[in-house]
Amino acid sequence: MAKDGVAPGNAGQLSEEAIGYLDALYRMALRLTGNTHDAEDLVQETYLRAFRSLHQFQPGTNLRAWLFRILMNAFINEYRRQARRPTNTSLDELDEFSLYHQMRANNSHQVSGQPEQEVVTRLTEERVLAALDELPIEFRQVVQLADIEGFTYREIAEVLGIPIGTVMSRLHRGRRRLQRLLAPSVCHSPSLCQGRSSLC
Amino acid sequence: MLNCDDMAERLYPYLDRELSPEEMAAVKRHLQDCPPCRHWFVFEENILRYIGECGRKVRAPEELAARIRELRQS
Ligand SMILES: [Zn+2]
Repeated sequence: MAKDGVAPGNAGQLSEEAIGYLDALYRMALRLTGNTHDAEDLVQETYLRAFRSLHQFQPGTNLRAWLFRILMNAFINEYRRQARRPTNTSLDELDEFSLYHQMRANNSHQVSGQPEQEVVTRLTEERVLAALDELPIEFRQVVQLADIEGFTYREIAEVLGIPIGTVMSRLHRGRRRLQRLLAPSVCHSPSLCQGRSSLC
Repeated sequence: MLNCDDMAERLYPYLDRELSPEEMAAVKRHLQDCPPCRHWFVFEENILRYIGECGRKVRAPEELAARIRELRQS
């Protein structure tokens, strides 16, 4: 029995625990590949690799992050072109867009109560997912990991193999860009924009 | 003491609970004293929560789950 790895008896329990992350891994795969067929293949490949190397997993460390790292590696391996597709991620004004301040600027006398309620009722799940998919992949990854799966900055840094500072800046910019993408749907409300928004 | 100009860069690290305990407390104090910043932070927090809820509605198809379980047996 390996000193550091998983005892055979625990492997069954560990693989059961790993299967518990299926929905989360599938969601990530779907956002990365953009279609259900490739997402299913990617998840299957992820579990294949995970089950094969379960004995290398260090008990007590983060199984979920470990699985996501395997998924990212499999993605980069098999979808190299997609993964590396050069995207325009140079800093621009999109990265500082604020939906809240835009809404306030558009009708300063009216945003008093809870503008987020207006936003939420105007945004369908489909619209949110479509906007996520429009983000450049560098931003999409971190937003998915942080906002949908609730990973910490440190975990995201581990999963993606990037410094924490990079996680923070991509997350900030990704969230701002997401708001910019969602703005037209939100501001399509007369009560929020009164036709004066540059976004509508 | 933090002022309003200090808040933008702390927005997300605060909502993500990634600031040091001292910084978390300082931001919290400012939010208690400053309604405009507080409204903004609450807005952002709710938007993030909603995006998370939308994203998590996606579930793996049942036949994929079955295939993964088969994979585990072999
Ligand atoms: Zn303030």
